[in-house]
Amino acid sequence: MSSVELDQVTIRFGDFVAVDNCNLTIESGEFFSFLGPSGCGKTTILRAVSGFNDPTEGSVRIGGKDMRGIGPNNRPTALIFQNLALFPLMSVADNIAFGLEVAGVKYNERRRRAEELLNLIALPGQGDKMVSELSGGQRQRVAIARALAVEPQVLLLDEPLSALDLKLRQHMRTELRSIQQRVGITFIYITHDQGEALTMSDRIAVMSAGIVQQVGNGSEIYNNPATAFVASFVGENNAFSGTVSRAEGKYAVLDTAFGPLRGINNRGLKEGDDAYLFIRPEVLRPAKSGDAEGDTMFETVTIKEEFEGSFLHVFLKSDNDAKPFKMAIVNDAGVERRDPGTPIKVSFDPDRAVALPVGELADE
Amino acid sequence: MSSNQIRAWVVRGYIVLFFLYLFGPLIIMSASAFNTSSYPTITPWEGTTLNWFVELGENDRLVNGFINSLWIGAGVVALSVPTALAGAIMLMQVSERVRPIYYTIVVSPVLVPGVIIGISTVIFWERFGSIVGLDYETTNNPFFLTIVGQSTFISAYCMLVFIARLQRFDKTQEEAALDLGATHTQVFWKVLIPFLRPAILSSVVLAFLTSFENYNTTVFTMVARGTLTTELAGLARFGVNPSISALAVVIMGFTLIGAVIYEIKKRREEAIVEASKKRAAMKRMKDTEAAAQQAAAAA
Repeated sequence: MSSVELDQVTIRFGDFVAVDNCNLTIESGEFFSFLGPSGCGKTTILRAVSGFNDPTEGSVRIGGKDMRGIGPNNRPTALIFQNLALFPLMSVADNIAFGLEVAGVKYNERRRRAEELLNLIALPGQGDKMVSELSGGQRQRVAIARALAVEPQVLLLDEPLSALDLKLRQHMRTELRSIQQRVGITFIYITHDQGEALTMSDRIAVMSAGIVQQVGNGSEIYNNPATAFVASFVGENNAFSGTVSRAEGKYAVLDTAFGPLRGINNRGLKEGDDAYLFIRPEVLRPAKSGDAEGDTMFETVTIKEEFEGSFLHVFLKSDNDAKPFKMAIVNDAGVERRDPGTPIKVSFDPDRAVALPVGELADE
Repeated sequence: MSSNQIRAWVVRGYIVLFFLYLFGPLIIMSASAFNTSSYPTITPWEGTTLNWFVELGENDRLVNGFINSLWIGAGVVALSVPTALAGAIMLMQVSERVRPIYYTIVVSPVLVPGVIIGISTVIFWERFGSIVGLDYETTNNPFFLTIVGQSTFISAYCMLVFIARLQRFDKTQEEAALDLGATHTQVFWKVLIPFLRPAILSSVVLAFLTSFENYNTTVFTMVARGTLTTELAGLARFGVNPSISALAVVIMGFTLIGAVIYEIKKRREEAIVEASKKRAAMKRMKDTEAAAQQAAAAA
């Protein structure tokens, strides 16, 4: 069953197009993420779903019902704000029960529901504390409980983990995912952190400049990016720019500064098209003696190496001085260290290299 | 004597002079309330008496003025504080372009001399009453005129207090409440008003005190009646006796008691907040450690 539908949604602020013709169906009970850099329009979509602004064109439907003109206080959604927006002058229980209080639920019933939710978020018996007495992670969970108290069909989360330190953030990812599985409602999650999106989500929509670039599960997006933006934004990637010299079967061969290189051609590139070949650092490896010469191998020199324990990161001279290529080698017994400036032959699996039409790249 | 010592003595001398300048008149006046001399003075000390306090209580003009001042103060609070709150909220709502103009207009009464506010209040209501056909007694009621006249600028003061507080209001609080199903009215009463509570209290005190001590506007709007301030000014013109000093002692006494109670209350609240913060900080440290251990265990 579909939970939230965005039907040709365009949102403009004056001349600025924040969201451009977005079409999406989010299923009931799904953990769905919008991933993109700041200013890509993801928060605008979230506010259109929660009811703080209506789309300029198109419609937002929740549970099949068009939401135009329905205010945030009458939608079956609850939003968790980036700064959480807990009420500092109320106790934890009053915060959690706020939605029930304004709905006219009696005090005893409110207390009972608040206590249930405190159990759900593993803070039993802490309802009488003030918000200021809680730690960051606890506040996070109170904000979730407060939103769940109104029994929304859809829970919207606006980068709620960004204020936490790294350890707590990783812990809360697991926690969020497990709360979602327990309550079984739709979560729509906004983030610029691909790690969060990849680990928690059933599906992800990658956005850039108001446009949804690709929708898919984590491995689809990581392994088969649909656009140059997705390829460069999600995970680390090396972009070889060039022109398609041959399109044969599922492959395309690009003429690059490093000679002809081959990759998967899912986007129907034709001979003469300007294109990028994306090869991830973990796909590149130093060539072995038996490797085939030709369009799955190129020569360059090393710039430097960084040893990170499980991986050795090798920086390679690229066609662009500002951005060297990166190669990640698993630190097994045979890993070999090289001085900067050493010539090296690098080869790769053409089934894991992706040729895509030129387009905007994500800046790092 | 070294130059350091000289400097220290100069500073000490300056501080003594400064406080003498500040409190000297108050001390002398307070003392004069207990001197039997019929003119407020401490030299010569003719004898110690509490009679001036009795005489103060028997002075009908002062006592009535005092009662009038209380009523007017209450009326000004009742009118100014809601007006100021509405004005301040409005300022937050209007568009960025209109805001400076709006601000200038609503704050301008602060800059207008009180005399002018007083005269124009009297003239305006007199005219207004006769045009609209209101009964003369209503539009020229001294209490009505004084409350309205004083409120024109006191509400502007109160508005400044509210603006200062509202600027720290986090709009997402309002959005969060709306999102959880609250109506705009509920947001106002359950989120905004509790947040503004300290500002409401300070503007009540500010409005009352400003009203109580106002002379310039009041002297016109009270017409033939008087408040404590205008009655005192009237007395001063015909020469004073120590019952005025007695009044000063009474007022200072009340002010001191009020200030001490407020300070004690504030310190007690601060202590509670501090304690809860400390508890929270301890808890946070423990939590971070626990989370770190969990993460380590998971890895």
